[in-house]
Amino acid sequence: MDAQREYAREYAFDAVVIGGGIAGLQSALDLADQGYKTAVVEKDASIGGKMIRLSKVFPTLDCASCITTPKMAAAAHHENITLFTYCDVNEAKRENGRVEVRITQRPRYVDMDKCIGCRKCEYACPVLVPDAEQGGFSGRKAIRIPFSNAIPQKAVLDVANCMLCGKCASVCPTGAVVYGQKPESFVIKADTAVLATGFELNSRLDKPQYGLGQIPNVIDAMQMERLLAPHGPYGRVLRPSDGKVPDSIAYVQCAGSRDASMGVSYCSRVCCMYAIKQAMLLSGALPLADITIYYMDIRAFGKNYEQFYQNAKAMGIEFVKAKAAWLDAGENGSVAVRYEDQLEGGAATREHDLAVLSMGMLPGWSPRGVCPVDVAGDGFLKTLRPKTNPSLTTLEGVFTAGTAAGPKDIVDTITEAGGAAMEAAKHLLSRQTGGVSLREADHE
Amino acid sequence: MSDLKQTASGGQPASGCPADEARIGVYICHCGGNISDHVDVEAVRERMEKMPGVTVSRTNMFMCSDPGQESIMEDLKSGLVNRVVVASCAPSLHETTFRAAIARAGGNPYQYEHANIREQVSWVHHGAPATDKATRLISAAAGKARLLTPLTPIRVEAQRRALVIGGGVAGMRAALDLAAQGVRTDLIELSPYLGGGLARLDKLAPHGEDAAGIVRELAGNILSDPLITTHCQARLTAFGGYVGKFSVEISPASRTARAQEAAPGAFVPGKGVLGPAQAPGAPERFDAGAVVMATGFSSYAPQKGEYGFGDNAEAVTLPRFIEELKNAQTAPDGMLRLGSRPVRSLAIIHCVGSRQIPGVHEEGPSGHLNEHCSRTCCAASINAALTVRKTFPATRVYELYRDIRTYGRGQEEMYAEASAEKVTFLRFDVESPPEVVRVNGQYPLEVRVRDELTFGENLELPVDLVVLATGMEPAPIRDLIDMLKLPVGADRFLLETHPKLRPVELPVAGVYLAGTCQAPMDAGEAANAASSAAAKAGALLRRGFVELDPFVAEVDPARCKGTGACVDACLNEGALRLQETEIGGEKVMRAVVTPALCLGCGACAAVCPEGAINVSGWTLEQYEAMVDMILSEAAFAVTADESVSASPEPAEAAV
Amino acid sequence: MGTRTSAKAQGTILILATESCAYPGADSVGQAHSSYPANAYILKVKAPVLFPERFYIDCFRKGVSGIIIMSCGEECPYEGAYKALAKRVDAIYALMKEHGIDIRRLRLTAICTVCNRAFLNEVNQMNAIVQELGPPVFDQAAEA
Repeated sequence: MDAQREYAREYAFDAVVIGGGIAGLQSALDLADQGYKTAVVEKDASIGGKMIRLSKVFPTLDCASCITTPKMAAAAHHENITLFTYCDVNEAKRENGRVEVRITQRPRYVDMDKCIGCRKCEYACPVLVPDAEQGGFSGRKAIRIPFSNAIPQKAVLDVANCMLCGKCASVCPTGAVVYGQKPESFVIKADTAVLATGFELNSRLDKPQYGLGQIPNVIDAMQMERLLAPHGPYGRVLRPSDGKVPDSIAYVQCAGSRDASMGVSYCSRVCCMYAIKQAMLLSGALPLADITIYYMDIRAFGKNYEQFYQNAKAMGIEFVKAKAAWLDAGENGSVAVRYEDQLEGGAATREHDLAVLSMGMLPGWSPRGVCPVDVAGDGFLKTLRPKTNPSLTTLEGVFTAGTAAGPKDIVDTITEAGGAAMEAAKHLLSRQTGGVSLREADHE
Repeated sequence: MSDLKQTASGGQPASGCPADEARIGVYICHCGGNISDHVDVEAVRERMEKMPGVTVSRTNMFMCSDPGQESIMEDLKSGLVNRVVVASCAPSLHETTFRAAIARAGGNPYQYEHANIREQVSWVHHGAPATDKATRLISAAAGKARLLTPLTPIRVEAQRRALVIGGGVAGMRAALDLAAQGVRTDLIELSPYLGGGLARLDKLAPHGEDAAGIVRELAGNILSDPLITTHCQARLTAFGGYVGKFSVEISPASRTARAQEAAPGAFVPGKGVLGPAQAPGAPERFDAGAVVMATGFSSYAPQKGEYGFGDNAEAVTLPRFIEELKNAQTAPDGMLRLGSRPVRSLAIIHCVGSRQIPGVHEEGPSGHLNEHCSRTCCAASINAALTVRKTFPATRVYELYRDIRTYGRGQEEMYAEASAEKVTFLRFDVESPPEVVRVNGQYPLEVRVRDELTFGENLELPVDLVVLATGMEPAPIRDLIDMLKLPVGADRFLLETHPKLRPVELPVAGVYLAGTCQAPMDAGEAANAASSAAAKAGALLRRGFVELDPFVAEVDPARCKGTGACVDACLNEGALRLQETEIGGEKVMRAVVTPALCLGCGACAAVCPEGAINVSGWTLEQYEAMVDMILSEAAFAVTADESVSASPEPAEAAV
Repeated sequence: MGTRTSAKAQGTILILATESCAYPGADSVGQAHSSYPANAYILKVKAPVLFPERFYIDCFRKGVSGIIIMSCGEECPYEGAYKALAKRVDAIYALMKEHGIDIRRLRLTAICTVCNRAFLNEVNQMNAIVQELGPPVFDQAAEA
């Protein structure tokens, strides 16, 4: 199949970073600051990854956008960084000691050089579809800027929903809409690569005990992030079925982690803290609401996390030690949570206006058939030396950062991204000086 | 984008206004509601646009976003503005963001002033007073901006040499990564050994890497690297200078603990690899361009009586137990023996010296509570329990915990395996912790616990051994904290500039953080932090020069009369001196600043009788202008009909 | 707009907050969303040792009702600056007395980056003082 593609262009860089989330951006910035020409390849229409979609982040409660946008802007403006968005990686391999990445850029149906991000097309477009960027709670147009703080600020047309009415093209002041735009394929060659391919949440639709997505007012935590975000779909926290302000909100922890039935035996590391964070934000937004967190163990292990958890307890957020066994639709749109009461003993049921499932992390990318790098049993990239060189993959000259190699919070991700940049820089230096690479030294 | 409203510039240049007339752009951020929910951003924008010297005033949902920055850059490029005021969150978050945007647009990044209207306004005040305060703070910023002159960063040549303090896994990883970048590196270690806390461990959780093997390998690479000089049994005794050129003095530390029989390079079990000792005698002095702090942690020492510790020989700490377990011989009956003593059953108690809660726990001799989680003890405890159960199946193991925090890759699976291997887990509440009691029965000790996993059943566990999973505390480095002027957090660990924006950096430029001196971490996490620090330090040193903020004292030669009052007041030796110069054929003394040494504190400015010395970017005149603007009612002088639309809230009554 | 309170009538409090301790301390209060009187204005300073005696007297003359110097105290990154500052504050107190200004209007304190409670206490106490005293009035005799 790949043979049919024509790779018209070829670019040469010192380093290529696959993934433009916070991990990839930090690795790219650290490499670029050391003077290395670096390419960032991103599958979405904007860089920023999961982090830019969050409301606020623990434990400082900084707004996520305030931390992410400067790094996004710094990468976009860095003289040593080139961004490639809306790209699929068809193949990534080592060839003659270098990394060769074959890429297809999907058509945005918008000329990036001409688009000025004025959104006139978006305002004119008559098609309204649920906006995944807003948890599906609000609508978006078929042609639109992906989200308010996206980089690049360029429109993208969703061809599956476009009805070719031509309104966008007619209002565009620069003639940037190109209905006939074709995918473009090209090759990036670099001396080293960092895989920062991130994670996806597992789906609430996959869990029979929690209603397979059929119970009204059971949402996942990423949807709650949108309800809490300043640019959220409603501008405030409402439950989706009837727009009621919830008086009682339940968090179901380990809804997609530490759970063999979901095929995820591991801990996703961030769910305890994001649930506590959301609970704190909710108690600010809805001071009268009762918030209950059903949990197995609270894993507040990072710097200042335990103190954050104790603050939440002091604020009156209720922590119930129990794995929620079953969710049912209750009366008037409520959600019944069935659990085993650890203190009193026996089964108990409580009704809440809204239930949030703390879903876990799955790998965002599978290298199978694309890149000869090994994955471990958990599906994330295998790392060779987790105690001394945590970003080494099984492929020489190819490193990993962030959640590509297992669930991680933002702090750990950013630090690891710096480490991956260091490993990549060492690889570049060893090539340039003809020195013995680290891996060859390992095999002595 | 807010539409451009240009007002007739009615403002007269203030006295002392620089030659290029101030054209100030004021940019006010909504922060997506963080600010605009409490401050009437549009009303403030309208008020600011009428201020003298302000040529344009705009708002944006996220000023820090690309479109926000673009709007500033466009105004600079078009010449509409030549000074920028951004009103948004705390300057610690975005001052550099906006300075960089100004530089990209060809402006001078120091003709910039920041108004903090989120942390210091919208998050603490509400309604009309919040809007008014925001107005006054932005007016003050504009008042200062009018007086800002262009500045250039100070360029300092950087020594291609780094100092790493601490020879554990973080220090060694950092030193190796620095050397790999061609940076000559000195690693100092207080003890005689390289290896730090890792050297005391055995097989590491959860994959079973050999800690000794890791220490041997890293230390071997350190000792054979021609660019790395290792100084064991050495301490930093003096520190000065600045990024790019820190002056460092290393002196030999006491040499009592050295294993006499071992040769340098040899691995001593439980201690690490013996490194070359700092030569006795005179201290060694050199300059280093950057410093990596890798001073590690101390294990919490339980207080006497804490879970029976100190009162019973059968109560030991987890690190001690791991060391003893290393040497334990397997026996045909499958029973663990420590020395000759059989251990039929043992209990590991979690969170000893960690997750302490005010009002529940008592402060130790340090006068502090360890409210933090030590992160590594859950996995280390379960790893030890699993080792016991697999090697000595006749020994029972209980784990008494509050929350099991096996967060890391492979750790949850290890926890499941421990359950399968019949490690008994019991959960206690922090308010009713287990008690360790000496009993005269078949077993020497009994652990009494109220187990929440069995609905609060009170259990008595007979045990031969109690293991206390002690947490991590910061290493005792008061001397270094004072010498390097390092910030520490409420948890007493070293405090990074920002956990996400600059996780391995400190406010002292050129000093970086690696490993457990910052917070508890495991070996891999410490290695990541160390590599990250080495990448930052390397980027700085490989360039060969450092640019420093130009906020240093500047002498106005026309006003200086050579009184020397500033030199007497100066707090940093060498930063300020009197020098003989010739003016009009007459030899006179004049004050001269060495910018790289000047701290910018302004002690000189306060005492100059002539007002001839000032800190660039922070002048007294600028502060006076800010005070005037805070007190001024000018921003509120709107016409009656405008006032209706300007403020949706009823006017605030007098206090 | 006749009912709007002027800065002077509100009893403006000026806070000189050090860049490395008290200013981030004030941000920490903001992050905790702890409210304090809105008539307190924080100016970021590298070190308060910058300001000569006359700066303070001029502030009172202009209509500032109270000044809190929030220093780093013993944590001061500029060695010796705190001692020099403490000495200066004594001199300012003497000047204030000369001018008939209540010396409670000026306070030197140390606020760390996480000293939320101390920060709030200082601001609330100063506010109580300035509300009690009203705007500063200079002793005419001393002025002459």
